[in-house]
Amino acid sequence: MSELAIPTLEAQVKSERSAIGSLRMVQTASILVIALVIVSPLFMLLIASLKDDRFQILADMGSFRAFWVSNPTLSNFAEIGNLSGELAFGRYLVNSLIILASTVGAGLIVNSMAGFVLAWGSLRGRALILSLVIALYVIPQESIIMPLVIMVSRAGMTDTFAVQIVPWIASPLYIFLFYQFFAQLPKELFEAAQIDGASVFRIYRSIFLPLSLPALATVSILMGIESWNQYLWPILVTQTDYARPIAVAIATFFGQDSIYWDRAMAASVLMMIPILALYLAFQRWFVSSFVGSAVKG
Amino acid sequence: MASAALGGVAEAKTVIHVMHQGDPGWVATYGEIAKRFEAANPDVDVELIYAPHDAYNEKFSAAVMSKQLPDVMELDAPFLANYVWSGYLQPIKLLVDKDVIDDMTESNIAQGTYPIDKDLYAVGLTDSSVVLYGNKKYLEAIGARIPKSVDDAWTREEFEGYLEKLSTLEGVKWPIDTFRGYGIKTEWITYAYGPILQSAGCDLIDRKTWKSVGTLDGDPCVEALTMMQKWVTNGWVVPQSSGTNQFFAEGHPAALALGGHWFYAEAAASMKDDIVVMPLPKFGPKGASPNGTWIWGITTASEHPDIAGKFISFMLKDKLYRDYAREDSGYPGLKSFAADSPLYAAGGPMAVAFEQASKTAIARPPHPAYPAITSAFMGAVDEIFNGGDAKAALSKAAEKIDEDIEENDGYPPFDEQQ
Amino acid sequence: MTLQQTVRPAVIARSASRRDNGRLIQEIGMLAPAVILLTIFLAVPFLLSFWTAMTNQPLVPRPTPIRFVGFNNFLRIFRDELFWTSLWNVSRFTFWILPVQCGLAFATALLLHQKLPFRNLFRGLFFLPAITSMVVVCVIWGTLFQYPSGPFNQIIGFLSGGRIQPIDWLGDPNWAMFSIVLLSAWQAYGFQMIVYLAGLQGIPDELYDAARIDGANAFQRFWHVTMPGLRPTHVFVLVITTIQAFKLYTQVAILTQGGPKSSTETVVHYMVRSGFEEQKLGYASAVSVILFLIVLVIALLQRQLLRRFDV
Repeated sequence: MSELAIPTLEAQVKSERSAIGSLRMVQTASILVIALVIVSPLFMLLIASLKDDRFQILADMGSFRAFWVSNPTLSNFAEIGNLSGELAFGRYLVNSLIILASTVGAGLIVNSMAGFVLAWGSLRGRALILSLVIALYVIPQESIIMPLVIMVSRAGMTDTFAVQIVPWIASPLYIFLFYQFFAQLPKELFEAAQIDGASVFRIYRSIFLPLSLPALATVSILMGIESWNQYLWPILVTQTDYARPIAVAIATFFGQDSIYWDRAMAASVLMMIPILALYLAFQRWFVSSFVGSAVKG
Repeated sequence: MASAALGGVAEAKTVIHVMHQGDPGWVATYGEIAKRFEAANPDVDVELIYAPHDAYNEKFSAAVMSKQLPDVMELDAPFLANYVWSGYLQPIKLLVDKDVIDDMTESNIAQGTYPIDKDLYAVGLTDSSVVLYGNKKYLEAIGARIPKSVDDAWTREEFEGYLEKLSTLEGVKWPIDTFRGYGIKTEWITYAYGPILQSAGCDLIDRKTWKSVGTLDGDPCVEALTMMQKWVTNGWVVPQSSGTNQFFAEGHPAALALGGHWFYAEAAASMKDDIVVMPLPKFGPKGASPNGTWIWGITTASEHPDIAGKFISFMLKDKLYRDYAREDSGYPGLKSFAADSPLYAAGGPMAVAFEQASKTAIARPPHPAYPAITSAFMGAVDEIFNGGDAKAALSKAAEKIDEDIEENDGYPPFDEQQ
Repeated sequence: MTLQQTVRPAVIARSASRRDNGRLIQEIGMLAPAVILLTIFLAVPFLLSFWTAMTNQPLVPRPTPIRFVGFNNFLRIFRDELFWTSLWNVSRFTFWILPVQCGLAFATALLLHQKLPFRNLFRGLFFLPAITSMVVVCVIWGTLFQYPSGPFNQIIGFLSGGRIQPIDWLGDPNWAMFSIVLLSAWQAYGFQMIVYLAGLQGIPDELYDAARIDGANAFQRFWHVTMPGLRPTHVFVLVITTIQAFKLYTQVAILTQGGPKSSTETVVHYMVRSGFEEQKLGYASAVSVILFLIVLVIALLQRQLLRRFDV
């Protein structure tokens, strides 16, 4: 580059700074507007959870009164906390956390390894395997659930934690997600490590995985939500509260004839909290990528 | 309830499994009953299996397929015939205490009876019904006659006349809520609208020949649904997407409500004394009202049917169980429970509703094809309420029902019944 | 480099082939857990349903024998008008949801990728809908959509000075599917948003710096750096969103049950109704086989097409 380029670049940066200033304003304004639109429906949920009369909640539905509470109370939350016996929420909460942690933990390893091999492996027929994996994602859970029930009950897995974890560890969706993330990383990264004599597993473990924090965070969050919200499957394969997850307990509030709106709403709010915590914990991993420096180094 | 972890201690005990649905109050109540039953019968261990009502059918098939049927199960009455025909329930008359059996109302017996052998396969403390709720102020404003008993229920002419008058009355947005808001593929459709067909002189299926073509698509049914379609197109009925609270929401936009017995608690909470409870109108020569709820049966898989029967008897007589059912405004299925429920006893606000049980209640078709029958009928009602031709929609539904029966070889021995 | 030059060619070849074998074994080992699990818990049960689709098997075992019926179930599905309606409906849904949901997700991801004040707070807020259970989402939106005086209709009435009549969002066959699109996009865009966020992190900062040095303005940098860098992410999002759209079920089952007048009937809802409500498992299996084949073809075509554009 000639010397002339330097003042040009400086001038450009300067003029861009003012442009960036106004761009920031537009961005901040639009983010506020979008946030308002996105969050306001959820406000209704929070409001309803603070009303203690389920008939009043029902009567308020369908008008703006659903967004207003005159004397808020936490009694619904207290009531849920005090439930005991077959419906002690603590038990279900712990079960859900165990299932979530195991599914996500194992899922990260299994799916990322598969995604890595599909992206960078030398195996012949990788494209075909990838297509098959995507094809498997097409299958709706509803259409395999009954054969699966028969399979796991014959295997004697009914009413265990394992039956709620093992079937959902490997997932076409997350293999595909890891695949696309790994495939996006520069080729030089793999080649440089290969020349240094690193094995495939080592390249995956020591180079690609540390660079994949955003992908690992994404999969953790998405798998976590999926596991947390599992409903039909646990009902079919569990009998007692020994291993049943929280979603099943919440469903009791949505009764047959009349719904316990007050506690149902409070329980729904409570159910969101652990997943929100998981999300907030993992979203820190959305950090600027070190890929560039890794390539140079 | 003993947890699975303690199984070793209870080795010598007989274990019976009880599958049920219900809201948290019911779940807690069953837990208490199980404990008390275990205290009274130290050699028995009761294991409760809860399944939410919206996944109950799926849970039942999963239990069948994985050979884990419970001893005692709660079931929705209209599915009884299907379960008995499939061989999953056993007669309970000799297993449950005689005083409980003798205590059953006619409607309760009807919902638990299998038409082939006329034997009893299930029993419940409660039953259900649908009545016509009215807003007293509006009805007085149009000078409507308020029926006092099932015998002087409104006729079709009266009913439609009042709807028309209400439609122009100040403050009334919709003359009636028929709870379309519950959804179009919910049992409510068949449960609540079926009796209108029966009152008009037809049915979902001929209960002798078990053929739907010629009955559901016959003139009386077409006429009855055309009538209902007219209410909808006139704007007399609360639309499907206006919620289920218009009878008691602010301003009381709906004047009448064709609602279940459970609706009374919801409405009374904000309307207080402004509600009148009336019997369902007569749309033809005779009145008709629905019945049926979740009742208790003993499965053929049970190794201890005697203990299972003992548990059901114990539960139905249990004071706490009855107290909770009363608090939940449960509709009595046992006479002694009716006498003990101020809401439904003579002079009570829902007395008319209970009167229907002995005078007009008709069970939904007790046929193993019921899942197909109700599904086809719901489809037809949605079609008709949205402007479709009643005759065409009902013909399609009737053909679908007959097709299902044919595919199952007539569900023998139902095909031989004449 | 210098080291390798001193080694004799034959040795290179031998150690290379040994290394290849070792590498192959490692790769197979890394792929195996996923393949085995997917085979047992997804592929096998689904292959079983190919067989079920050829029978009249009921949901709950019955006294009548299970018969092999060949392609009868398939023929009956093809003759059922409602099946074609449901297929048409999910196609309409897909057509709408792709731009709405992916667009919203992409826009919010771009915004949240900037170094804005309270970025973490906004990231949390924007993700809230995605962690709300569908039952609750349907309760909330059922209220918003209420006819004639729900919040949406009131807002529209207010903004238009009463000129626009209330819309029966969920009760009018012309509007119902569109309303489901709005609700679905709101509930699920967080999924695509975080995929995009992760994708954006994967683009090296150096590329932006280099573009700046070359004199590219913000738009040019977006077009020549961000977009190509996100190419695999776009492919992923498009393919996955399409598949998810074709599997549309939960919100329809809760809110409209396929109505009014079958305007929101979807293929999976049709399948679940025939399988679980009408208890015809064989018939339902046939529906799922057909759905599988249709979506598979679409997904593969999509990937081929996108690949062609890339080259």
